[in-house]
Amino acid sequence: MTVNRRKKPASVNPMKIGQSLGAVLALQGCYRAMPLIHGSQGCSAFPKALLTRHFREPIAVQTSALQEMDVIFDANRNLEEALNLVLSKHRPDIIGIIGTELTDVAGVDYQNMLKSYKRERNLRGGLAFSVVLPDFRGSLESGFSSTVEAMIDEMIQQVGHRGQRSVNARQITLLPGSFLTPADVMELKEIISSFGFEVIALPDISTSLSGHLLTGFSPLTRGGVPLDSMLQSLQSGLTIAVGGSMERPARRLHNAIGTPYKVFEGAMGLKATDELLHFLHQISGEPVPLRYCWQRENLLDGMLDAHFQFAGMSVVAALEPDHLHSVSGWLEELGVEQKALITSFETPLIAGMKREVWVGDLDDAEVLGKGADLWISNSHGIAGAQRTGAAFMPAGFPVWNELGAYMSVSVGYRGAMEWSNKAGNLFMQREAGSRESSVRHR
Amino acid sequence: MDPLRQDEFDSQACGSIAPKAKPCPRPKPGEAVGGCSFDGAQITLLPIMDAAHLVHGPIACAGNSWESRGTLSSGPSLSQYGFATDLTDSDIIFGGEKKLKDSIDYIAGRFAPPAIFVYSTCVTALTGEDMDAVCKEAADRIGIPVIPVNSPGFVGSKNLGNRLAGDALLQYVIGTGEPEPETDLGVNLIGEYNIAGEMWDIEKLMNSAGIAVTSRITGDARYKEITWAHRARVNMVVCSRALLGLAKEMESRYGIPYFEGSFYGAKETTYSLRQMAYLMNDREMERRVDRLTEREEARLGQELRPYRKLLRGKRAVLYTGGVKSWSVISALKELGVQVVGVGTNKSTEDDVRRIADRVGDDTEYIPEGGASRIIKTVRERKADIMIAGGRNMYVAMKEQIPFIDINQERHKAYAGYEGLLRLAKELTYSLANPIWKLAASPAPWDKEAPPYDR
Repeated sequence: MTVNRRKKPASVNPMKIGQSLGAVLALQGCYRAMPLIHGSQGCSAFPKALLTRHFREPIAVQTSALQEMDVIFDANRNLEEALNLVLSKHRPDIIGIIGTELTDVAGVDYQNMLKSYKRERNLRGGLAFSVVLPDFRGSLESGFSSTVEAMIDEMIQQVGHRGQRSVNARQITLLPGSFLTPADVMELKEIISSFGFEVIALPDISTSLSGHLLTGFSPLTRGGVPLDSMLQSLQSGLTIAVGGSMERPARRLHNAIGTPYKVFEGAMGLKATDELLHFLHQISGEPVPLRYCWQRENLLDGMLDAHFQFAGMSVVAALEPDHLHSVSGWLEELGVEQKALITSFETPLIAGMKREVWVGDLDDAEVLGKGADLWISNSHGIAGAQRTGAAFMPAGFPVWNELGAYMSVSVGYRGAMEWSNKAGNLFMQREAGSRESSVRHR
Repeated sequence: MDPLRQDEFDSQACGSIAPKAKPCPRPKPGEAVGGCSFDGAQITLLPIMDAAHLVHGPIACAGNSWESRGTLSSGPSLSQYGFATDLTDSDIIFGGEKKLKDSIDYIAGRFAPPAIFVYSTCVTALTGEDMDAVCKEAADRIGIPVIPVNSPGFVGSKNLGNRLAGDALLQYVIGTGEPEPETDLGVNLIGEYNIAGEMWDIEKLMNSAGIAVTSRITGDARYKEITWAHRARVNMVVCSRALLGLAKEMESRYGIPYFEGSFYGAKETTYSLRQMAYLMNDREMERRVDRLTEREEARLGQELRPYRKLLRGKRAVLYTGGVKSWSVISALKELGVQVVGVGTNKSTEDDVRRIADRVGDDTEYIPEGGASRIIKTVRERKADIMIAGGRNMYVAMKEQIPFIDINQERHKAYAGYEGLLRLAKELTYSLANPIWKLAASPAPWDKEAPPYDR
């Protein structure tokens, strides 16, 4: 309905995260990839530390390590040096060059540089692309989707345009949004494949950031979708995008090679999951697998059990745009009051929401969500939730105060149940706490 | 505001006041690890808990970095707020100075901090904003110190950032205030950031020996106490690489003697306490320190006995920066743990000399990063455990190597006598955990053939 902003000059307790971090995240979902951030050392060190903290996994990322004089004279010399080293030392299959605010303000043309680098070195067989992601626009979400788009662009360039496509109608390309956890991506893959489809997730963090000990440590990513599967995905009969931000990459595939697409704004909660399963049922002609029918019953029963806890409660949520949209839909189904919804930047999906949304930071969540019983945001929100006396439910990125956050499921009936129980439990604990303190006072 | 003293600052490459033989080397593109100068400046100044810390630049510099340190506060928490001017496209084009000014006013009006530190970032440095002028003007207008910290990421490494932050303290903070009359003057602790509350263990020890802490620079510090740091009688430099220059400059300006010391390990702790008392030139205090350290060491010896038995002969690879590279070696040696590999990439030449004093000839020096290089050392030297920072923690986990976190994100305090006991316990728990055996044995159906190739 309306997108608002509170008037204040500074960002206080930001929830917004640089776009380049989203790009690094996207590349973690590709096998043997190396994101290369074109900026100063900190531009890669901070995202690396933050992603490591959230996923509790080593994160593959490198930097062109720009210093003042490099920026003034020739930033691309550093990039070339970095490329040489990374290519000879690690031999990645995929390399993504991520431009930062620094290269953007300095006006560095690394895109053309990459082109001529590839031509001169006769670079073939791998995927090398660049993407411009200054952080004075967008946030994690836009960085992620822009990177997927750039990746798809490069794939199409390499394989060539329409004409050579032999469409495989039983194969679906899944474009999962940045707000989905590795377990969410896994769940979506399972749901879609249970209707008899082959699924290629692009990118696929479910096999790289979900934790495994199979291959030991590698400086490159140790899981995710391999390059040949990525190229194979161009033959898919359909693209399914989850999250409004993934519509653009889906449209890119459609425009370039004609793959039809379907965008699901989210897959959280009863209605959203119904919609997804119904769609899959229709296009496959297969019945909805029994386990999802059963899970649906579980969810409804669980929501009935929990509705006593949710009655009269209010929630403040501060999340990235797509995520906020999903979570808001789920809250709607629980019948709780949505005291304030805050997001990091404006997107078409957010602008089209029926509810009032604020673009801002966690300080706005504190002010606008005053009196809310539950606070949903990344771990930076803990202090704010404490100050306002709300129960704290970590979600989004980064979450560091909880083990296994990256493996929590939010999509499908299972995810809705997991979240409903989590939130309900927090309310129960809070209630118990306040009862105890009232006894003591007497 | 005006620099309070317009002294000459040296124009050495790394901004260090004390010339160093090896100035900060250029980071290698494609292989650089670790943070930038902006990161380093924050590390040094964020522990001033009651001040506001405003990052002037686009969002990522603040958005990706706030609340990432394990530095603890015993009171105010304003420094844990993330403040950023969050520049947008149009701010870049039309200039962000107005926004900076408004942000400073806003923070001062709403939070009333004793001081505001303003950090420049690559972008604002590149667009040539006159941050110093904005800060000076703002300080005059609102009547609290507004301190520009000129340490954008692209000037160099994290260490350089530490030093530039030290310069900012010298130029704008130290010497601008006077201690309250009843303050007992003693030692400044420089470069101790109260990670996991280590500072509190140290302070407790110092208090037992009757040694007062004048200023904490900067673990769990309050702005005011740093303004009177120039009245201290001794400076102890806990993290030498970062702020040695600060101590040297304070010696020449204010005649405060300094020494470099550490609190990792019982011997180092005892030495540091003795040095303090010695430099204070107080015989009575020296006797008190002797009594205290004897008592503490004896008690510690008792408590350590069961752990020493388990740890004797164990081999460790240590990969950390600066002062910890040698001081932790001492601590480990006291526990009977042999250091078979040690990282030196963030160490000064002095540090390397100190490392050499403490380890045998068969210890491998790991000059520069790369997780693969550390793992190689662990394997080749048959180490039992890896001791490093959080960034390498999950690298070790992937290789199923027992690990202890020694850097700034950790949650355990290892300083002082108590800290050594804690370290011994952590090492023992880590090595004895059943997971190592479980992870190393294959699934029953994979027993015949190895499930994967390495």
